[in-house]
Amino acid sequence: MSAEVLVIGGGPAGASAALHLARAGLHVTLCEQGPRLGGALHRQPDDPAQRIRVPRAQSQRWRALSTALEASSVQILCRHMFAGIEGGGTVLLEDRASGRLVTRRPAALVLALGAVERVTPLPGWQLPGVTTVGGLQVMMKSTGQAPDGDVLVAGSGPLLLALAAQMAALGKAPVAVLERSPKLVSPSVIASLITAPAYLREASHYLLALARAGALPQHGTWVRAISPRDGRLAVTIVDRHGRDRELVVDRVALHDGLLPNQNGTAAPSNGPFVVRAGDCREVLGGVAAMADGRHAAKAVLAHLGRSTEAEPSATRVLSRERRAQAAINALYDYSGADPAWLPDETVICRCEGRTLGQLRDLLASSDPVSAREIKLNGRFGMGACQGRFCAEWVAAFIAAQRDGEPPAVSEIIGSRWPVKPVPISAFVTLPPSRPSE
Amino acid sequence: MTRFHQTFSFDGTPVACTDNETIASALDRAGIRVLGPGQNDCAGRYFCGIGACQACVVSVDGTRMEACLTPARAGLFVQRIGSGAS
Amino acid sequence: MPHPASSPPQSPRSVAIVGAGIVGMSAAHFLSRAGWQVTVYDAGAPASGATGSADGAVSIASKKPGPLMTLAVAAVRFYEHLTETGILGDEYLPRSTFVVASDQEELGVLERHASHLEASGVSIRLLKGAALTGAIGAAAPSAIAAVEVQGEGHAVGYRVVERLRRLGGFPIRRNCRVSGFNFSKGRIVGVVTEDGVEPTDAVLLATGLGSASFLSGLGPIRPRKGQLIVTDRAGADAPSFPGPLMSCRYLVSKGSQAAPGVTESRSLGLVIDPLRTGQFLIGGSREDRDDRETTDADVVATLLRDAVELAPSLAQLRVIRVFAGLRAATSDGLPIVGRVGGAENLWIATGFEGDGICLGPLMGRLCQQMICGEPVAHDISSLDAARFGLSLATAA
Repeated sequence: MSAEVLVIGGGPAGASAALHLARAGLHVTLCEQGPRLGGALHRQPDDPAQRIRVPRAQSQRWRALSTALEASSVQILCRHMFAGIEGGGTVLLEDRASGRLVTRRPAALVLALGAVERVTPLPGWQLPGVTTVGGLQVMMKSTGQAPDGDVLVAGSGPLLLALAAQMAALGKAPVAVLERSPKLVSPSVIASLITAPAYLREASHYLLALARAGALPQHGTWVRAISPRDGRLAVTIVDRHGRDRELVVDRVALHDGLLPNQNGTAAPSNGPFVVRAGDCREVLGGVAAMADGRHAAKAVLAHLGRSTEAEPSATRVLSRERRAQAAINALYDYSGADPAWLPDETVICRCEGRTLGQLRDLLASSDPVSAREIKLNGRFGMGACQGRFCAEWVAAFIAAQRDGEPPAVSEIIGSRWPVKPVPISAFVTLPPSRPSE
Repeated sequence: MTRFHQTFSFDGTPVACTDNETIASALDRAGIRVLGPGQNDCAGRYFCGIGACQACVVSVDGTRMEACLTPARAGLFVQRIGSGAS
Repeated sequence: MPHPASSPPQSPRSVAIVGAGIVGMSAAHFLSRAGWQVTVYDAGAPASGATGSADGAVSIASKKPGPLMTLAVAAVRFYEHLTETGILGDEYLPRSTFVVASDQEELGVLERHASHLEASGVSIRLLKGAALTGAIGAAAPSAIAAVEVQGEGHAVGYRVVERLRRLGGFPIRRNCRVSGFNFSKGRIVGVVTEDGVEPTDAVLLATGLGSASFLSGLGPIRPRKGQLIVTDRAGADAPSFPGPLMSCRYLVSKGSQAAPGVTESRSLGLVIDPLRTGQFLIGGSREDRDDRETTDADVVATLLRDAVELAPSLAQLRVIRVFAGLRAATSDGLPIVGRVGGAENLWIATGFEGDGICLGPLMGRLCQQMICGEPVAHDISSLDAARFGLSLATAA
């Protein structure tokens, strides 16, 4: 009997890694935090009859992978949250259905935790009704229906286009799509995407759908502030000529790119062999994630002394996707609002409600306070999301305030377990590993 | 097709839900956007949809969990988490 | 009663303080106020050692009877004084601590400790029956008795340090490790760092465990790891905690009270501390280990099982953070404060184990008095470095 390999994350990278490990004869357990596999990209509908349209190649890729996974020996545990690797090297999983904490000592651990969206702060981004673009898209993929009310989509990145087009396909296009980047597709970008024609095809479909719905992205346009008004959201918009206007909507979806989800995944030296796969290693999208899952499987097999074959096709896919993503990202502007223009009241830490004014105050003196002091005294990164939505921005802000003296982001972002908050009631179920005192 | 035939309780109010959907979806459809008092003007709310931001955490049968990851089910007792001390 | 100075009054000069924890920063504040030119050196950042991973108990409740308990009483009064004079702002929160017994064996420990507290002049209230239910019944329904230790409080170590930093008056050299000292005629004349040598007229070592590297022989200071748990915020409907709940086992684990059969290198005492944010700090372990980077599920789960047994409402909260800190412990359980042999102008304040937040400001004040050659406000002869025969290692 072979030792267990644990794969965390039921998206394309995790599913692919699990499948290839199982095919190599290993005992594989795949853990997914949500009720179903698929991840954010391949989120499966609540009701199979209510499915939104996604690019055919995308759904075919997932269907093939999930069908093979079902036929494999991989044990799938849904609603199992990865809580981290504790000091003794044991992997902790929180089983949401039973409310218990489960421990495992796998021979290897593949982390395929995906990406988190970057959303740069602006006044009012903490209001109910304001979500991430991905958050709104996940909800739409699950329900198979467009979100109700008037929706404004803003920020930067290809995800804005995808969400808006999917809404338009359901007959309910956003009232506006604001893309911060002033650039339009240039011949050089098209040239660099020639090797990845699927993206060009996808983008042209999206643009066509939005053109039909009269909701093409407005370039060079961004949101200055959001405020509540009569149960709706009043949004101040700055156009590419620098002029302000206002829109009143029901929802605002924001997005400024993607970051690898790596918080709390530092592995102790006595823990299992750890490999990261997919967007949590490098944000390259779903196609690359499946290839990266194969790479991760290969790394695990090599570590366990199994003979492996080279994966030239996976390597090829990864380099192609890396080039394509670089070309796509060059089109966008993920910088967010210039912090100099943000008022002191702007919330930075959305968990604790800590503001830019409080951050500025900590940096006001000539004393070069460290990132750790800013974290402890300003409580930035100390909330329940553990800095996932503010640490990177706070570190960049500190760096910008101090020429040539960037603080270590790791001082703000947590690197330890628990990866996420874990109910005390789950800890209590953990059997003592030694006789009680 | 079985839709809206079941309800769970949200702060004492029945909220309709369909098979397989999350608590967050059901609350959103019911027009409920404020999921808790939160901290310093940052109310509980649906935001990232993938369990990362922790803004949609509610109490489900006495255990705190992300509304966006938790399946809705008939008879669940869901509550907003009250605010702590200032 | 003031105690005579061991050296003649000094006119204000320059002083180097090694360590920007609560002790070093308090001493820096008072020396700066006394007109000295202060420089604080820290190998990391302010409050990056034990101060930044402490529980914040400004408490007499858990102190070992004897000189430590007496000094703790004075230290709490000193916090009150610093609050009245505005120095600490609102960082000190006065409140009672509740030492709780859950069974007959613990009741014995509780009653013994209560008599020691009373003998030290601490105001206490033994709670049983209706008084117990009224005070902590909602939070800890299974307690059979408790002692309310009055007239103490809470302060977050790193916030006290930040407050003192903001009051200012002295530079802090971050990421600046002191590697040694230069000597002339039996005195330290320079502080050696990787940036060079800076002249100084006096030195205070307040660098916790790091102090050992400057001292000769096998250091009497050893690391004692503590693991702590932070929860998310309790809801408005949660039962109220009038103050921290401390299990009698904590007293035993800390060595403040004896109990048969506790000889392990790791012991777990339980304190459930309601923070101002509505969160709880739950601790803690005492382990003879020096790895501050790791925390164990076993320790955390054991602490949480005990916590929920005492205070069932905690079960509905979540653990949002687990961290570890290293205390600087001495073999006799008392800090080391005073002159160090090997140089005429070297003082030390370390070995506070888990009592640094409580004692820190007062010890900083006493160090200032010693360095200035002023009479010292409290008898700290039992903390003298001479009891371990300490002297400066680099004097050779």
